[in-house]
Amino acid sequence: MTLGLADAGLLLLSFFIPLLVIILGMPGYLAALRRSGRVVDDVHKRPPTKVPSPAGPMLFIGALAGEMVAYLAFGSLIPLALMGAAGVAFAVGIADDVFVLGGWTKPLLLLLAAAPLVLLVRFQKDLYTPVLTFPILGDTAPHFIIYTLLVFISFPIVANAFNMMDSFNGQLSWFALLTSVALAFGITLHAVFTAGFSLAHLAAALPLVAITLGFLVFNRYPSKAFDGDSGSLMLGAMFAGMAITGGVEVAAMIAIVPAILNSFYTLSSVRGFVERRRMASRPTYLGEDGNLYATTDSSAPTTLVRLILLAGPQSERDLVKSIIILVAASCLLSAVISLLTWVA
Amino acid sequence: MRLAPLIGIEVVAFLLIIAETYVFFNVVVPLGPIPHNLLEYTGYGLLKFLLIVGLGVVWFLVVLEMTRLYTRSKLSPSPRLSS
Repeated sequence: MTLGLADAGLLLLSFFIPLLVIILGMPGYLAALRRSGRVVDDVHKRPPTKVPSPAGPMLFIGALAGEMVAYLAFGSLIPLALMGAAGVAFAVGIADDVFVLGGWTKPLLLLLAAAPLVLLVRFQKDLYTPVLTFPILGDTAPHFIIYTLLVFISFPIVANAFNMMDSFNGQLSWFALLTSVALAFGITLHAVFTAGFSLAHLAAALPLVAITLGFLVFNRYPSKAFDGDSGSLMLGAMFAGMAITGGVEVAAMIAIVPAILNSFYTLSSVRGFVERRRMASRPTYLGEDGNLYATTDSSAPTTLVRLILLAGPQSERDLVKSIIILVAASCLLSAVISLLTWVA
Repeated sequence: MRLAPLIGIEVVAFLLIIAETYVFFNVVVPLGPIPHNLLEYTGYGLLKFLLIVGLGVVWFLVVLEMTRLYTRSKLSPSPRLSS
């Protein structure tokens, strides 16, 4: 594939327009949230501070802007499919932010986020291909039915995994940024080294990188904005859609291993889907010294954060650094997998 | 480094995910010829189901056991956390 100047310009637009929407739009939106009293306690501060939430609607607007640019620039249905998936997850998240949905309701509703992809692939055959590409070993045979089932299952799994990584200042924004960069790297290699692979796949992926980068400015420690479930579920759905349409499912699974482990620990220790606000005990607690400790209550859910804190208490800022190191390690492995898959 | 054991668990989980996904798509899904009588068809279906569950159980047990070892090693030397 050769990248013309016009293509490069359009890709840059797909990145910078959503970034500017977030950077320029978020301060006014947060001020409006404050004025209307939509603030929540940042419970890991002593005393708790008030933080505007949810920032999800602004992230959704940024995503829509980016995907619309990608659609107009390349005329592919891929950005529309990602917009649809993001829209469904955003709607589920907003419903959860307002009404607090039950433990099983969210994953069931999130199955619908796959519908735009599965419907639109009938009109554009290269929206996704029903094969997985492994490093060195190459492609599996096409399995349309199995793959379609996995597309449906992947949205609730990934969106909930993102949601469960949203506990501390900057945790989700760093996680989403690093994993989406790792995935965009894989899609870039896929586009460069695979004949006939459209640049639209990359253009549709860039808005996710842009909005997470923009959101990091406001969400990093000490947070000026929380995304709410509307933000975390939407980011997770966009990530799943990006992995499927970009043909980088294996690299995606590797990049989010810390989130997969976190979800696995939580679900296996509480034995099922339990809404976190309804859990009997918290996995960590804030000490008098302002540091976070792993709780010793055996009924508390096991989480990745609790495992990190078992090695000793940490301040919130240091804890998030530890999480970033774990995520960066998995993203590095993901990048190696992408190199072995598309270049080697 | 305090994160080294967790990165170790992460790497093992990653290797298992790749290996098991490959086995799932290249061994379990295309397993056997498509049988024509109902009994064989059901038998193949059951076998595939058991193999898929088996792959999940292997991942589950390996990750859980590594985590249990990690948790035990962190809890035992610290009287503060072992109440």
